Amino acid sequence: MANNNDNFDHVIVNKPSIGQRMFKYRWFYLMFLPVAVVLLIFFYWPMLGVRYAWSTYKLKQITLRLGPDYSTGWGNFQRLFTSDPFHSAFRNTIVLSFFNLVFATVLTVVIALLINEIGNAWGKKIVQTVLYLPHFLSWVVAASIFMLILSAGTDATGADTSNMGFVNAIVAKIYNLFHNDPYVPIDFLTEGKWWRVVWYIMNRWKETGWGTIIYLAALSSISPDLYEAAEIDGANRFKQTWYITVPSLMDTILVVFILNLAKIMNIFESVFVLYNSLVYDVSDVIQTYVYRVGIVGNDYGYSTAIGLFKSVVSLVLVSASDVISKKVRGYGIV
Amino acid sequence: MKKNVLKRVSALGLSMVMVAGLAGCNGSGDSAEIDLEYGDPDDKPDEISMMVDTTITEENGLQAVCDEYEKQTGIKLTFEKPDHAKYYEKVTLSFASEEPADIIEMGSTYYPELANSGALWDMTEAWEKSKEQAAQGAQGVNCVNIIDEDYIDALRINGELYGFPMAAGNGTITYVRQDWLDAAGLQAPKNYDEFINMLRAFKSRGGGAIPITAAGLLNTETPYDIYLREFYQDAVPDIYKDKTTGKYVDGFGEPACLVCNYLGIDAYQEGLIDAEIVTNKTSTCRDKLGSGLVGAFNYWAGMWSLKLQRSMNEGQLVAIPPIEEANGYTERVPTALAMSVYAPKKAAIFKYFLLYSHDGGEGQMLFTHGVKDIHYKYNPDGSCEALPYIVDPDNKVEKSMFAPELTITEWNDPIPLDPMVKESLEIYRQHRTFATVPVVNDTISQNLADLNVVRNVVVANAVTGKQTVDEAMQYYEEKGGYYANAILDDLNSEANLAAEAEAEAKAKSSSSEDTADDAAGAADEAE
Repeated sequence: MANNNDNFDHVIVNKPSIGQRMFKYRWFYLMFLPVAVVLLIFFYWPMLGVRYAWSTYKLKQITLRLGPDYSTGWGNFQRLFTSDPFHSAFRNTIVLSFFNLVFATVLTVVIALLINEIGNAWGKKIVQTVLYLPHFLSWVVAASIFMLILSAGTDATGADTSNMGFVNAIVAKIYNLFHNDPYVPIDFLTEGKWWRVVWYIMNRWKETGWGTIIYLAALSSISPDLYEAAEIDGANRFKQTWYITVPSLMDTILVVFILNLAKIMNIFESVFVLYNSLVYDVSDVIQTYVYRVGIVGNDYGYSTAIGLFKSVVSLVLVSASDVISKKVRGYGIV
Repeated sequence: MKKNVLKRVSALGLSMVMVAGLAGCNGSGDSAEIDLEYGDPDDKPDEISMMVDTTITEENGLQAVCDEYEKQTGIKLTFEKPDHAKYYEKVTLSFASEEPADIIEMGSTYYPELANSGALWDMTEAWEKSKEQAAQGAQGVNCVNIIDEDYIDALRINGELYGFPMAAGNGTITYVRQDWLDAAGLQAPKNYDEFINMLRAFKSRGGGAIPITAAGLLNTETPYDIYLREFYQDAVPDIYKDKTTGKYVDGFGEPACLVCNYLGIDAYQEGLIDAEIVTNKTSTCRDKLGSGLVGAFNYWAGMWSLKLQRSMNEGQLVAIPPIEEANGYTERVPTALAMSVYAPKKAAIFKYFLLYSHDGGEGQMLFTHGVKDIHYKYNPDGSCEALPYIVDPDNKVEKSMFAPELTITEWNDPIPLDPMVKESLEIYRQHRTFATVPVVNDTISQNLADLNVVRNVVVANAVTGKQTVDEAMQYYEEKGGYYANAILDDLNSEANLAAEAEAEAKAKSSSSEDTADDAAGAADEAE
């Protein structure tokens, strides 16, 4: 036993110290140094600001340089959890983001698979370009396009249909083929039940093409031998996709899903440019709420508390999905 | 063992860095000190810094304006002009992390917020002393005699002045398509019935004609009813002080506001109001007007009358007086040039910049039209005209800092106003009433954003028929009552009302002293 210990100590003693190892790899550490400095300054240093969540920090404290008033304690969190608008914003954030994430995952994978099936190289490039283009438009432009094509017209009685948007005009034509009564245009952007549908469609129209890039890269790394073997075994295109392509993509799908899950609390611009007072109850999200109370209302302590809560929720979601992934597939990403 | 020690040392080091960071961030780190001393107005500063938003851009020669100012006064003028969308964020940050500019441009929403926070210098004394000195014939301050004091008063908060008007706040006026009126054989409407008849006539034109459009049913800032005066009429959809009781009330929940909802509902359901009013932005409305779809549109008086007309492919736009029931148009609180409490030599900056830039002479010319031969020129016949923008040669310079059509001084501007601009302003000014600076305190800041969301929902639901007015108002009580009551309780607290009464009494006594002085001065002159 003693001998064993002696042997073990011998191994430890002979292992190079951390200083020695750092010196050995000094050029790698030097290379990493700028990254570490950037990380510390721009990612970790700002995190110190979370302490404002336990303070009253408004315009007066800033302009007169009084500093935050920490006597508030948990007051901001108390206000947060008893606020109706926050509850509504939290609920909407979860619903909008969750469905958007599901649609995003399914659609990007399906479209990536379809693009992968295009044999003609030129055709493939044209389709990819057309699908990527909306990503480069700003959310304001995207929302304006949807407002124009979905317009219900400018006459509330619906009698004058001259200014109706493209979608309502087509629906009206189809409706009039089968009905004698006049078509009442659908106000897609002010009807709560339609607003969310429009928001999902706008998001997918803008971002699905861009999202396929990572899957197309993953698809290109699948060995053609697998498809060749499957073809010899008599598998048709669908079975090849189902038994080879999809399982090969699962790792990428999982990584992208977990990374996107971390961002689900961050929706802002796409909602901000499209929402209006008639659909606040289904569209107001945490970020738009923070914008109102934090930026417009100059309540930095309270908005920091909301931001902190948001980050905690994101952390829990990512950690939980990683744990589930480890249990189901045997590995995660964290 | 070694490993554990290393871990502990690392953890301790990291903790110390964090603590140092917290301590470092916590300190104000201020290099400037608050100096509330009035100072010597003749102690000319070497340099004045400004933070501006709505002035001419740097590319179009803002630096030339500053250089010319230095040439005229010997004072170096520096400026910072942040991106418009982030202007007020930058203003706030400038107070937190660096030395704020001496002079800061302040819109009507942020002006009371910053004044209430104690960040702005109270320039009441400077104004009053300048008036006294001007009465004694002192040089450099006599421009106070040509400044319209209504605009000064419009910036007073409890009688105190925390900013100097850049120009008039201006307001909106109703524009109507004259050719549509002529085609319908109608005159400009004088009352609500005639107004509705006019809208009906416009609707009957068909072809997608929009009788009246607006960007939203409530404006995004005070005055909330500014774009729909014909429908709001007596209603004040905001918290205001009832003069009879001396207490604050929530005008949004009052019967007058219900009436406005009823009027709006009738007109909306009849198809007289743009069905897209809730989703419209002001740019959308202007586009619709330019496309020849809109019959009536309430928008800014002055330069916008010309811009709107020019945007139209066909038709003639005319500004009309308000209908009887609307009780006039509303003059917004002017954009202010405020002075930071950290600014040095405040009284001198007041004299050498704020008064100088409104002197009715070369200072006013510089800050209104810019620099000679860069922004404007004199023709051989002696007339004066604006030159094209440096980076936009298709358009002429409208202003360097202060809009010429909204001047607050009586001066002989050598560049004449366009007749259409002049006409819309004349009609507007005959019928305007000045809005007061919105009341601001911590309770309002905390609750107003949420309350306004509820208000927007209520008006939108009621007018578009998604709820009856009663249902909508019940919703308002349920969802907005908490916020409205919190604000009212605070404003109607004995302490607040007493403080306001004291401030009002102080303002009144100062005003009566002025009147007495004026009377004495007049008597002296008569002698």
